[in-house]
Amino acid sequence: MPSEDSGHIPILQGTLDLIVLRTLATMGPQHAYAIATRLEQVSEDLLHLNQGTLYPALVRLEQQGRIKGTWGKTDSNREAKFYAITKVGEKALAQETLRWRRMTGLVEKLLSAGA
Amino acid sequence: MRRFLAQIANLFRFRAAEREMTREIEAHLMLLEENFRVRGLPPHEARLAALRAYGGVEQAKELHREARSLVWLEHFAKDLHYGVRNLARAPGFTATAVFTLALGIGANTAMFSIVNAVLLRSLPYADSGRLVRVVFSEPGVGLRDVPFSVPELEDLRTRAGIFEYASAMGRTSSNLTGGTQPERLEMIVSTPDYFSLLGVTPQIGRLFGRQDFALGFAPVTVISDAVWRRSYGGDPHVIGKTVWLDNDPYTIIGVLPPGFRHPDMGGSRQPVEIWFTAGFAGDPAPKPSRRTRFIPTAIARLRPGITLQQAQARMAATAVEIRRDFPGDYPAEAKWTIELQSLQEAMVGNVRPMILVLFGAVVLIVFIISLNIANLLLARASGRQHELTVRFALGATRGRIVRQMLTESLLLSMIGGGAGVLIAMASLKLIPGVLPAAIPRLNEVSVDWVVLTFAFLTSVLIGVLFGLAPAIQSAKVSLASRIREGSRGSGTGTKTGRLRDALIVSELAIAVVLMIGAGLLLHTFENLIHQNLGFNATQVVAAGVTLPMPNDPKLDPYLDMTRQTVFRRELLRRVLAIPGVQLAAIASDLPTTPQVNTNALVVEDRPAESSRSLRAELTRISPDYFKVMQVPLVRGRFFTDGDSHGKQLVAIVDESTARRYWPDRDPIGRRLRWGQDVKLPWLTIVGIVRDMKNDGLDMDGVPHVYTSNYQSNNGSGDAASRSFSVVLRTSLPATELESQIRHEIQSIDPGLPVSNVASMNEVIDRSLASRRFSAVLVGGFALVALLLASTGVYGLLAYMVGQKSSEIAIRIALGARDTEVLKMILTKGIILAGAGTIAGLALAAASASLMANLLYGVRPHDPLVFLSVPLLLFAVAVLASYVPARRATQVDPVTALRDV
Repeated sequence: MPSEDSGHIPILQGTLDLIVLRTLATMGPQHAYAIATRLEQVSEDLLHLNQGTLYPALVRLEQQGRIKGTWGKTDSNREAKFYAITKVGEKALAQETLRWRRMTGLVEKLLSAGA
Repeated sequence: MRRFLAQIANLFRFRAAEREMTREIEAHLMLLEENFRVRGLPPHEARLAALRAYGGVEQAKELHREARSLVWLEHFAKDLHYGVRNLARAPGFTATAVFTLALGIGANTAMFSIVNAVLLRSLPYADSGRLVRVVFSEPGVGLRDVPFSVPELEDLRTRAGIFEYASAMGRTSSNLTGGTQPERLEMIVSTPDYFSLLGVTPQIGRLFGRQDFALGFAPVTVISDAVWRRSYGGDPHVIGKTVWLDNDPYTIIGVLPPGFRHPDMGGSRQPVEIWFTAGFAGDPAPKPSRRTRFIPTAIARLRPGITLQQAQARMAATAVEIRRDFPGDYPAEAKWTIELQSLQEAMVGNVRPMILVLFGAVVLIVFIISLNIANLLLARASGRQHELTVRFALGATRGRIVRQMLTESLLLSMIGGGAGVLIAMASLKLIPGVLPAAIPRLNEVSVDWVVLTFAFLTSVLIGVLFGLAPAIQSAKVSLASRIREGSRGSGTGTKTGRLRDALIVSELAIAVVLMIGAGLLLHTFENLIHQNLGFNATQVVAAGVTLPMPNDPKLDPYLDMTRQTVFRRELLRRVLAIPGVQLAAIASDLPTTPQVNTNALVVEDRPAESSRSLRAELTRISPDYFKVMQVPLVRGRFFTDGDSHGKQLVAIVDESTARRYWPDRDPIGRRLRWGQDVKLPWLTIVGIVRDMKNDGLDMDGVPHVYTSNYQSNNGSGDAASRSFSVVLRTSLPATELESQIRHEIQSIDPGLPVSNVASMNEVIDRSLASRRFSAVLVGGFALVALLLASTGVYGLLAYMVGQKSSEIAIRIALGARDTEVLKMILTKGIILAGAGTIAGLALAAASASLMANLLYGVRPHDPLVFLSVPLLLFAVAVLASYVPARRATQVDPVTALRDV
């Protein structure tokens, strides 16, 4: 069970896809473990997720054709599935980012207006 | 969409995807583990930490699967797989279930294709909803569907203002000559707008149009596709060729498309193959006048936007107008009126009760089969109790279990349904041989998408029906009680037991309904075949002959009574000379065949008003007719050869006519005449004969007058007399006589076809065909229902004995006698049978009146049937419970108790 510690943010529905795409776009092809580690690093452990929950997002994205997985070797010579963002994925990322910005901007506006 | 397709695709790559997933998760865990090791954890702790960080492998897998695929579909696929395995494990059960289902659904589907084609599908004519039949009636004197006159046809067109077309027509047959054998073709004579009214376009050539209007017959004809192929080899140059019918030349102007059928009303006979057009106002038709009512049938097409109800109201009002304008032609007490009926109703209305009763019977059978299978499944479910308990314990939800069991039963019903459709298709091929020809539109019966949809839905419904009970039952019982009962080794709880009891009782009840239905039909049939015919049908052979009636009198070799008499006498002389023929006679109509020639009748010495409405059927006979048929003379005399043209006109009436029209005096010596016209001659009654079944075994009380066929009575009987039957009293079978009869008749006139040579018993048989068919079919269903229900009772009790063997053993060990054990089991059987019988009786009593139309001489609540059927069922059910009860007494306490 994910802990409900005050410092941790539960991941927002639908945002995981965006985050994964963004990570792959900046860092190039990555395996699931690396993506999970990266997320934890970037969020400075604010975002805590069971690494297993990453899989549904990966499967979903792959089915949508936004990422593509291929088996390869890690630096430590272990086999892992590396996911890379596709053309479709890049387009989707651009759109989703724009939408997210608009959305957060709107929420921000509403919140400050209310204050 | 793309994702959906990927999900679907994943269904079929289930194993590969699973492997891939496991591999990926394993790789991930390895990386995590490595990381923890690098941070300094010992190896086994690193593994645990990795698992913890990962957060539940199985959970992740499930999430992964859900994302990957449509869960429900995957569950379904799994259930299906499971179901197939399960069914394959019990081949005996599966085969029995599939077989009975296939038969049930097959019969059901076949019957529904008939319902669909005959009753549901709209008629195969353009915009057929606007087609109506026009029926002229005189309700004041109890007559429906009387003939009409040319001015009345004109009234339809001009006064009513609701019809696009109105066409008069008559159906008859005529002799086609020129081929190797003279052929008798069924034909329609109609006004020219018949085809426009029906909205037909020809295959080649043209159809009748305004230019073909003639007072009498127009010299043109349209032929069916069948005639075109049979007689002209499909020759495209057939247009313009001449055919000779009844010695008259006609030019072929068109060929109809293959699918076209004349809309036959009131039971179809042979298909119509050739069409003519006439104005019904010139030779050979009489001069038009309101009272010259001789046209048998009218059909019409309503103007767009007019409903049948509006049209009916308008028509009734028009009839009132007409009566007001011509009071002399419409006696007030007849209440002459015009009714409209949708053409579809006119064509199929009279067979609807029979078809629906048969369909209902099939549905009940399918219902019983479902209940039976439900029962088998319940029994099996108890055998699977353990498996289900384990699945519950492992956290399967109730919905999941119900779904899985339903999948299994649906699988069963779908296989049965598929096989059933094949059976239906095969059995529909047999239709022409099996179904009575009196059902119209049988040529349209086919398995189309409506039928397939029906079969599919039926299968689903059945699958759910027989699957739901066991499914819910298995899911409902709580885990605790399940384990408790399971440990006792009995398998079924009391709830399951009660459900099975209910199923058996329903089965028995339905069997009672079917058996009572069959009983009523069989009783009716028995009544009919034991009807007093009024004549002796054995050793009588009949053959049909029709004299041609050319439009041009100069071409008519049978123009007047003298010539016809010569022909008839010669015919009788010749057939009498055939060895083995004892007596020969001629009659315009055979008994037990429906007749349409009711004629207006005036009885002398009766007040004019009341005599105006009298009618009687007219049969024209030769002197020896009653001797051939062995109809006893009551008083007076039979006709003789002396009752010929130019002598006193004579008539014979039957007893019920005598009682009805001459209630207070002896009719012999009294006179009657065919119609109001004072110029018509009087006929003197010379004899009274016993009643005979002239119109069919189920028709009584139609007044009947016989006249001599050597005399003309100037009434409307003359035209009908050209078509007649020769009846012979002989010990030889019809098949042996056929060629000789044909030879003798054609040696007088080689152009005369001889048709329908058959023994009188065959004629009667044919008149009963559809009744026999429905009685036998429903009877068969009832038998099947009885068998299924009694095996159900047997199965249940045998099972119960098995379940209770330890209880029985204890009782026996404690000194219970055989009779007590027997009583214990039998009581159960008797309670079930009693409940089923009572429920069935109530159902049957409520629904029997639906069959009233199909019964003759039997009331829908006939006490004999309602008493004997339940008794029979009860007896069979008790017998079925006796066998397991008997077995119960033979339980060996030692063996039975050792197993506890």
